[in-house]
Amino acid sequence: MSANETVIDHLLQFEFFQKISTAIGSQIGVSHIWVWYMVALILVAAVITGILAAVGGFGTYAERKISADIQGRFGPNRVGPYGLFQVIADGLKMIGKEDISPNESDKFLFYLAPFLCIFGVVATFAVLPFSAGLTLSKTNVGIYYVVAISSLVGLGIFIAGYASNSKWSLLGGMRGASQIISYEIPVTLSIMSILLLSGGLSFEDILANQTAWPAGWYIFHNPFTFIGFFVYFVSVLAETNRAPFDLPEAESELVSGYHTEYTGMRYGLFALAEYMEVFVVCGLAATLFLGGYHVPFDIGKGTIFGDILQIGTFFAKTLGLYYVVIWVRWTFPRLRVDHLMSICWKYLTPIALFNLLGVSVWILFFDGKSILDLFLSAISSGPVGH
Amino acid sequence: MLPEIVLLFSAFMVFLGGILLISTKNLMHSCIFLLMCLFGVAGVYASLGAEFLAVTQIIVYIGGIVILMLFAVMLTGGKEFISRLHKVLNLAPLMGDKSTYMKGSIVGLIIFGGLSAFFYQLLKVLPLKEQQVSDYKIIGHSLLTDNLLAFELSSFLLLGALIGAAIIAKPEKVSESKPTDI
Amino acid sequence: MFEKAYLCLLMASFLFALGFAVIFIRKSIIAILIGLELLLNAAAITFMTFNRYVVGKSDGQVFSLFIIMVAAAEAAVVLAIVIRLFQTKESIHVDEMSELKN
Repeated sequence: MSANETVIDHLLQFEFFQKISTAIGSQIGVSHIWVWYMVALILVAAVITGILAAVGGFGTYAERKISADIQGRFGPNRVGPYGLFQVIADGLKMIGKEDISPNESDKFLFYLAPFLCIFGVVATFAVLPFSAGLTLSKTNVGIYYVVAISSLVGLGIFIAGYASNSKWSLLGGMRGASQIISYEIPVTLSIMSILLLSGGLSFEDILANQTAWPAGWYIFHNPFTFIGFFVYFVSVLAETNRAPFDLPEAESELVSGYHTEYTGMRYGLFALAEYMEVFVVCGLAATLFLGGYHVPFDIGKGTIFGDILQIGTFFAKTLGLYYVVIWVRWTFPRLRVDHLMSICWKYLTPIALFNLLGVSVWILFFDGKSILDLFLSAISSGPVGH
Repeated sequence: MLPEIVLLFSAFMVFLGGILLISTKNLMHSCIFLLMCLFGVAGVYASLGAEFLAVTQIIVYIGGIVILMLFAVMLTGGKEFISRLHKVLNLAPLMGDKSTYMKGSIVGLIIFGGLSAFFYQLLKVLPLKEQQVSDYKIIGHSLLTDNLLAFELSSFLLLGALIGAAIIAKPEKVSESKPTDI
Repeated sequence: MFEKAYLCLLMASFLFALGFAVIFIRKSIIAILIGLELLLNAAAITFMTFNRYVVGKSDGQVFSLFIIMVAAAEAAVVLAIVIRLFQTKESIHVDEMSELKN
């Protein structure tokens, strides 16, 4: 099927790559096609995992640096220039720590939970459109897949809370699961209002109607999508357990919530998953509402240079939103747990539903034209047009 | 090529998850193995060319049903509570005794053998051909034209289930004064 | 192609048998719900396999979608009943639910 290309199909076309896999295949004595796939899978997985770890790791660095900036401190500045190698130092420290699990804990679930979290996040990167060339898997149900697979994170948090056999963990896990399940609804509804405009579930469809200029972005398409962006952004803050919605790990009440009992790299996996998930949701926001990877004038379209520009655009938008997320965390106080639920069910969900209705009515009446198009056509037809 | 790999991998997940599901004594673990099994089923759908169905499977089962089950297991006390009530079953909580286990396994094996033999004969007779599976746009179209009645009825069913579940699970106002541990 | 189709149907029969066995063996209502979900999934896989290898187009797929929908509705109601039972009878053991017996 041509609609469902993966990056592996591209890799398989390189002659150099084919040569390597044929050599390996003749050594082991299996058909070389299988080896192609296996080598390609492992290669892609290794590269992506490396990039992701960097994204997550530098997420922690950015968080510390920006929070320090907001509070008038210096932040990490000892390891390397500007403290850039603090990430490596932290990683080494975490790997070096003793791996403790509580005596009364459910060992199997306790060990499983961080991997569920990290799997749910990493799997979303398979469809995230970094550029026209660098989308790992061009499936035709892209955004739906992201919504589905990221629900594993909530499961991981819940299991972590349950398996630790500690009251703080349990409370954190319960809060995490209920919060994620509840906030999935406004997130999905505001994504759906965009899908009505794009007419397809794949990221290609979503990006096809947007342009590089802000006037062509879906956020400025009509008033409802403008509200929808903010509904989406607030809801994903809650879905990724970021402040001011970080009740599952509220330090002042729950020690550190669902990962209280975790030590060393297992704790590190939770932290990494959180930072990577923030990156994913910011990337989704950039793709859905802010025009994604589109470069003005389509400079260098189809070439490697153009791809690099597109990746740069995507990362610029995503990291800008990432900055806002961190900024929000260090600016706003935490909500109370009943306020959290009432915000979701009494405000965000009705607003998102209203948006969905509004967008469909807009499409019906204005034939799917954006507000700028209507304005321009009104000008060109003249004040005495009718 | 990729569909075959996915199919083999999901078959592995389904069989392993299923066997672990029935052999573990802990209900919580059972739910996790159910998740593994259902993930495998989603993989089967994906390898059969129905991505939309696969993702729906993931979103409904993993994002919804399994989390609900885990919640229910936790709220009803899991294994500890049952073992307090039934001193006899303490060693095998939530599991029947040995004879039930044997009977259940034998029945399961018989069903498995019978069904797989039946499907073998059936597939030999049927003309097999890799058909084109329609994508989500055609499905959406058919849901609103050919299958409209079923679609509307299912929305009624879901609404009914929603309201019914809320009413059934609502705690009574009478002073039971039983502290919940959430 | 025969092998692929047969593997899928083998999985379906395995899940069906497994669901049956789980309903037989387990004594918890939630475990019985797990068994029911397995039965429904077995049916859905069968529909999808025949859709892929025999019928084509979208009919089997739509049927599988409806099966998933029914499973979701059923799970919500059953779990609500489980919570209610636990509130009133303090147990989710099927042997305890014998009010209507005799």
